[in-house]
Amino acid sequence: MMHISDGVLPLSVTLGGYAVSAGLAAWSARRIHSRDLPKVAVVTSAFFVASLVHIPFGPTSAHLLLPGLAGALLGPAAFLSIGLGLLLQSILFQFGGITALGANAVMMGVPAVICGWFFQHFKGRTIARQAVTGGLAGALGTVLSAVFLAGLLMTGGEDFFGVAKIALIAHVPVIVIEGVVSGFTIGFLARVKPALLLPVRSFHD
Amino acid sequence: MTRMQKGLTIGLLCLFLAGLSGPLWAQAPPENSTGEVIALLKEQNSALSRDLRQIQREIAALRADLDKPGVKDVFAGIGYIFGLFGAAAFAASRRKG
Repeated sequence: MMHISDGVLPLSVTLGGYAVSAGLAAWSARRIHSRDLPKVAVVTSAFFVASLVHIPFGPTSAHLLLPGLAGALLGPAAFLSIGLGLLLQSILFQFGGITALGANAVMMGVPAVICGWFFQHFKGRTIARQAVTGGLAGALGTVLSAVFLAGLLMTGGEDFFGVAKIALIAHVPVIVIEGVVSGFTIGFLARVKPALLLPVRSFHD
Repeated sequence: MTRMQKGLTIGLLCLFLAGLSGPLWAQAPPENSTGEVIALLKEQNSALSRDLRQIQREIAALRADLDKPGVKDVFAGIGYIFGLFGAAAFAASRRKG
């Protein structure tokens, strides 16, 4: 649902999206310590597959996006993870166009990084608080992605508030379910493997 | 009566019936062979077109299914991800060693 297809965005935004996402991916890659590569790989494949989990909702269906959860688990590394996940989704599943990949990566990756910051900043120490913060981060990720989607489509000549309203209303069930899924996942990880919730170490640590 | 004569009679009968005007047909439903044949043909026609429509619907559903990513695509993607990160880990370990 939340993928921009080929030919929707003007050329300048397409190229700009690629430039911004290439820069962010390089920054993100610099922030990954080699010991964290397996964790990044697992979260990337979870993100890649989550888009196939369809939630029936009335006449239509929406699918999970999980930028919030990826951000909470990976922090700055989430951008690279989401970019790779989106690349493979667009090649293998035909989700979103290959020319719009840069814009799609910005649309999903930047909210993920923001959610990662949000989670690390507010997670506190108790398991319950971590679960609640994780759930909020999950919901926030989808909300921000919808807002970014509206912002990008505005450059294609759409009305920002109109698109934002439609995207947010269409994603209300997804936002709720993402929040619940992320909250439970983070609560579970906080109980069994709290080390996974520590911020990803940077390359120079 | 020879066979030829019989055929001729039936043919004449058919011609006569074909010449009958519409309202007469409407008043009395056809009790004869031509009417039956036409009814049968119509029935078969509608049955065939019903089947055809169903087949077309099935083809459309199949095409929609083909567009959906299958298990193969999912595992291909997971393989790509692990492979790429494995290569990255290998490069990182070489750089350190």
